[in-house]
Amino acid sequence: MAYSEKVIDHYKDPKNVGSLDKKDANVGTGLVGAPECGDVMKLQIQVNPETNEIVDAKFKTFGCGSAIASSSLATEWVKGKSIDQAMSIQNTQIVEELSLPPVKIHCSVLAEDAIKAAIVDYKSRRED
Amino acid sequence: MTSEQPACHKCELSLISHLFCFNCKKLQPFDDQIGLFEVMGIPIDYEINSEQLEEYYQRLSLELHPDFFEVAPKEEKRLSEKASVILNTAYNTLREPSSRAGYLLCLFTNDHKQNERSLPEGFLQEMFFLQESLDELLESSDSITLEKMKEELGTRHKEIEFSYAPLFKKFKEFPGNFNILQQLQTHLNAERYLRRLLERIPSADHILT
Repeated sequence: MAYSEKVIDHYKDPKNVGSLDKKDANVGTGLVGAPECGDVMKLQIQVNPETNEIVDAKFKTFGCGSAIASSSLATEWVKGKSIDQAMSIQNTQIVEELSLPPVKIHCSVLAEDAIKAAIVDYKSRRED
Repeated sequence: MTSEQPACHKCELSLISHLFCFNCKKLQPFDDQIGLFEVMGIPIDYEINSEQLEEYYQRLSLELHPDFFEVAPKEEKRLSEKASVILNTAYNTLREPSSRAGYLLCLFTNDHKQNERSLPEGFLQEMFFLQESLDELLESSDSITLEKMKEELGTRHKEIEFSYAPLFKKFKEFPGNFNILQQLQTHLNAERYLRRLLERIPSADHILT
């Protein structure tokens, strides 16, 4: 399997690995999984409640290189975006950026799902 | 559910495997849609006779060996290669409980929409937690705890595998009850995560201290 340069880079030097405080009211946590391969992905966002802008993002992924790269890229992309902008990130953009082969497209879908799950979690916790 | 018994296109005797006639030793025409149970010549059921599967696999592997098709006409040679590939796919899929269950589930659900991502409540959170714990244990080379974790997860994995048979049996009694199939899907999904975890835990002698 040939991994693209970008995937290898994200895998060797992943950006934003770690955790945010999930109890923090301004943090949204998305935990998603891909049953086809057993990948588990956690993506967290820290939101500025006044501007609705994502000021920080962290991830932790247990899975293949493409899954790690996809989630690493996702955290890079959401930082500095508004929640609405982040919500509209498409997995196809991740596929293109990382040159993911067809068998790894589901990794990008997982990353898109993780972003959305984190946002949904943030929003639902704001309502409490 | 039984597979129909087609006849050999040459000697017209009933075929066991749809790939090959054991009587006249003729390779049978087949297409890409051929069912895996039909390839092996065993009944379409979750419960299989493992010995029979093994025996048919050995016999068919031998009969389909490339050496026997070395001087065959080009088309037959090509077909024999395809037959070998599908034979191995069928054998590998059907001999292992989870892949066999997954294959049958595909056959039964067909067009029916299922929740493909369904998992037991809190399962994903637990898997994430276990993966993180595993990271720490591997880092510290805590072989005792690792061994214990492997044992516990191994037991859980086996329990899931044992859950397939009764569910398939129930589905036979209540065909069309897609709830049962949904339960199977959930179990199969859980199995895959557990298997990924287990694969990461090295055997005791591989844990460097």
